Amino acid sequence: MTKKIFAIIIAALICVSFVFSASAYTQQYVIDYADKLSQGEIEELDLFAEKLESAYGVTVLFCITEGTGDVTADEFSSGTYSDHTDNENGIIFVNDDWNKSYSVFTSGSAEEILTDAAVDSMIDAYDSNDSYYGGIYACYELAEEYLENGYSGGYVYDGEPLNNDTDTTGASEEKDGVSIIWLPVSLLIGLLIGFLIINGIASKNKSVKMQENATVYTRPGSMVITGSADNFLYNNIERREKPKPTENKNN
Amino acid sequence: MSTILEQKCPCCGGAVEFNTGAQKLKCPYCDTEFDITAMPEETANQVEQINWNSQGAQWGAGETYGMSVYACNSCGGEIVADSTTGATTCPYCGNQVVMKGQFSGALKPDLVIPFKLDKKAAKEALKKHISSKKFVPKSFLADNRLEEIKGVYVPHWLFSCDAIGNANYKATKVKKWSDENYEYTETSYFDIYRSGNIGFDNIPVDGSTKMPDDLMESVEPFDLSQAVDFNTAYLAGYLADKYDVTAEESMPRANERIRQSIIDSFRETVKGYDEVENQGANMNVANGIYKYALYPVWLLNTKWNGENFTFAMNGQTGKFVGNIPTDKKAVTKASLLLGAGIGAVIYGLMWLIELL
Repeated sequence: MTKKIFAIIIAALICVSFVFSASAYTQQYVIDYADKLSQGEIEELDLFAEKLESAYGVTVLFCITEGTGDVTADEFSSGTYSDHTDNENGIIFVNDDWNKSYSVFTSGSAEEILTDAAVDSMIDAYDSNDSYYGGIYACYELAEEYLENGYSGGYVYDGEPLNNDTDTTGASEEKDGVSIIWLPVSLLIGLLIGFLIINGIASKNKSVKMQENATVYTRPGSMVITGSADNFLYNNIERREKPKPTENKNN
Repeated sequence: MSTILEQKCPCCGGAVEFNTGAQKLKCPYCDTEFDITAMPEETANQVEQINWNSQGAQWGAGETYGMSVYACNSCGGEIVADSTTGATTCPYCGNQVVMKGQFSGALKPDLVIPFKLDKKAAKEALKKHISSKKFVPKSFLADNRLEEIKGVYVPHWLFSCDAIGNANYKATKVKKWSDENYEYTETSYFDIYRSGNIGFDNIPVDGSTKMPDDLMESVEPFDLSQAVDFNTAYLAGYLADKYDVTAEESMPRANERIRQSIIDSFRETVKGYDEVENQGANMNVANGIYKYALYPVWLLNTKWNGENFTFAMNGQTGKFVGNIPTDKKAVTKASLLLGAGIGAVIYGLMWLIELL
């Protein structure tokens, strides 16, 4: 009987330890080295960031610190990012509260969507809020909007209001459209394609031609390869610079 | 004067023709049908052969150069034909005659593929061929008249051999990747070598200078499994030529096709590369043999705007070929219309993308 009770207790302890370890292994998206946020606020913001990550695959971290120690702000932000996530697509905002400065590190596809203009607007939203919690929340809300527009509509925020935004009069923002210069270019391309298609059809009117080979007269199964060699000669590597990625350093 | 041969009906004595539908000889006068075997060469040879002497000096020596004169066994009419003509129609009585000397001795073909399709099928194929093409001038469709249609047994040399060869190719592999700052393209170059043997059976080469080589090669292939031993009876009702291009003169063309076949066949074994380009090939031929065969071809001649158009149909498989004139104005108009449409669509798509 004693042995049974002991075994049940051990099993219960193991279960409890699993539950604790599972709950302890939650992703930390808001890193508060400066103790500016309560535990409840951090958890709420973490949930928001987790939602962004699961919806768009982009990790959005926010770190509040007081000084960056022996390393530069850029090194601190990239180091903190890699310490807290393995996701290649993401961004971290570091607010050095002591020096009143910001540094941002972006990685992967986040660079394409969260442009300089987007990052600036997010920092403005953070700055303009009275509380740290409210600032980070506003920052996350903008991140969600940009990511949503970036992934669903291919629209990247460039400082202009988004497509669905309205100005003060309520009228939609009009785009410049395609330049008229593209009309003759399109026509030229169309004419070239049309010429190729029509001449391809017309060329079928010529059906008399010499045969190229005599493979149709090959004796079935008669081909025997007696010698074969594939010799590597040399290789040539060409390197082309990619378009400059967006660098987000807002100090 | 040379001798000619007519296949006579054993019932009524009329000149018989080879019927493609029944694959038998048929008398057009009494509708009697009988097998080719019922008309063996020996029987044919029993037909009266007359050596006619020239009755006068109607033909000068220069005038008859390249021509032969025959006498029709039915009406006695004088048939003047090209020296390579092997079978034709008497212009006086319409009987089908075979110049038997053209296919005797060393000139006797080894094989003949009998006609499977008749004149009616050839005419229908011509209509279908023309109607299936685009941008044909309307006046060609309206004014084009069938000038002549004739079934011709075209002499072909059939070459069989074991080809031993090798070929070299230059091949490339392209690999692309990128990092944060650069895009990389690595092109690797390879020298490829293949050697081996390939056997070829019965590569045909046109043995008649009268027939355009490209036209004859265009109606290939023929199914030689349906070929039969030569019998002059198959020629009844058709035109036939004896060869005037020797086997030796035809060999270079066969070799050219064999060489290209080696390049193309060995190329099929070069795999895993993005681009492969032939750099040259060598070949030798062993166990080479050749045969002489007659292939059935329907030739159709039409005339339009003073220009002759020749079409050909494989008399066995029905493959039809022939160049048709193109209405250049219609092509230009269609190109411009289609081009403008495509251009407008491209421009519209650019707008659409921009708006989205």
